[in-house]
Amino acid sequence: MHIPDGFLSPVVTLPAWAVATPLWWLSARRGLGGTPVESVPVVGSLTALAFVLQGIAIPVPGGTSVHLSGAALLAILYGPATAFACQSLVLLLQAVLLGAGGVTVLPVNAIALGLAGPGVAWLVHRALVRASGRAAAFAGAWAGTQAATLAVALVLGLQHRLAPSYMPVPFEVTVVAMMVPSLAVLGVVEGLYTVAALSILRRARLVDAR
Amino acid sequence: MPAEPRRSQALLAAWVVAAFAVSATTDLRILGGAWAAALVLLHRGAGRALRRTLLVAAPFGFGLPAISWAWLAWRGGAPPAAPFLALSARATLVAFLTFSVLARADLLRALAPFPAASRILVVCLAQVHALRMLVAESGLGLRSRLPRRPRTGDVLRGSGAITATLLSLSVRNARDVADALRSRGFE
Repeated sequence: MHIPDGFLSPVVTLPAWAVATPLWWLSARRGLGGTPVESVPVVGSLTALAFVLQGIAIPVPGGTSVHLSGAALLAILYGPATAFACQSLVLLLQAVLLGAGGVTVLPVNAIALGLAGPGVAWLVHRALVRASGRAAAFAGAWAGTQAATLAVALVLGLQHRLAPSYMPVPFEVTVVAMMVPSLAVLGVVEGLYTVAALSILRRARLVDAR
Repeated sequence: MPAEPRRSQALLAAWVVAAFAVSATTDLRILGGAWAAALVLLHRGAGRALRRTLLVAAPFGFGLPAISWAWLAWRGGAPPAAPFLALSARATLVAFLTFSVLARADLLRALAPFPAASRILVVCLAQVHALRMLVAESGLGLRSRLPRRPRTGDVLRGSGAITATLLSLSVRNARDVADALRSRGFE
């Protein structure tokens, strides 16, 4: 889902670095806080958790599989600031260990997948949780997945608008190629996973454990 | 500072500069030259880096431009292929540079002068290792309990359960690491 290096020019990525850097600083302060001795293990452990969750492949009808994101679950459990910090670190690790995503596009991916997605998931969950916890979890995760995918498609569309010779893929192709699997499969799988994980965490009384 | 952290830091810095430089390039001839230069300069281990590039970057790097070109050609005449080829060349070249440089640089040594970043990386990598083993064992357990291949619902339920275990383990490990850091005098 994330944008690889080479798809966005410095005209987009450099301003994204300028926007993301203070956001990372703020999220580290708000979401993690405390002394380094308290926050370093929490950041490391939650980042590892998110990294490992994203390695779990869910088989879907048609012979293929999709990967979980776990971003909505992290946002619901720990808040969007912590989710943003941890997802950004996951993206950095994926870039430097696996070559997925990339270093030039890191802030764009972090804002789309670590902030927009989990932020929407957290807001939707908060708005609906009084009516039904399960429905709120599903709707939050589904909406968060769509928000993250749409944000990625919009940035690629913006790059096409700014320089069609650099990014010749038009927005209508990008948005269809990304949103159709997201709407049909990814969002549903993420929603069902978030519901399953939250209900087990509640039963095991682990939801408030931090 | 010993030479090794500096070497890894220099490699990583060169990689970041190269990634930005390549991502700013649209000329197909320049990209072709850059590909050739990269293959010559980073020839040691190039086969492995190329294989990883094909596996990781090629599906999106070639797939999206190819689908887009075909769709535009079907809609109303074939558009010039050069921008699409340049896009694929850029994406795959940065991926090749990434794999080649990361095979040569030692992240932990490069981060040695930055204690907080080193600690986060060490904690994170150790946790990833431990949690991954648990996930692999859980997957094997799920397969062994079912007389058929696990379906979407089975894996989703299993993922929910393993998440609870991973989360409790992460929280406990974070507390242990914090205690260990405090006992060694870190503040």
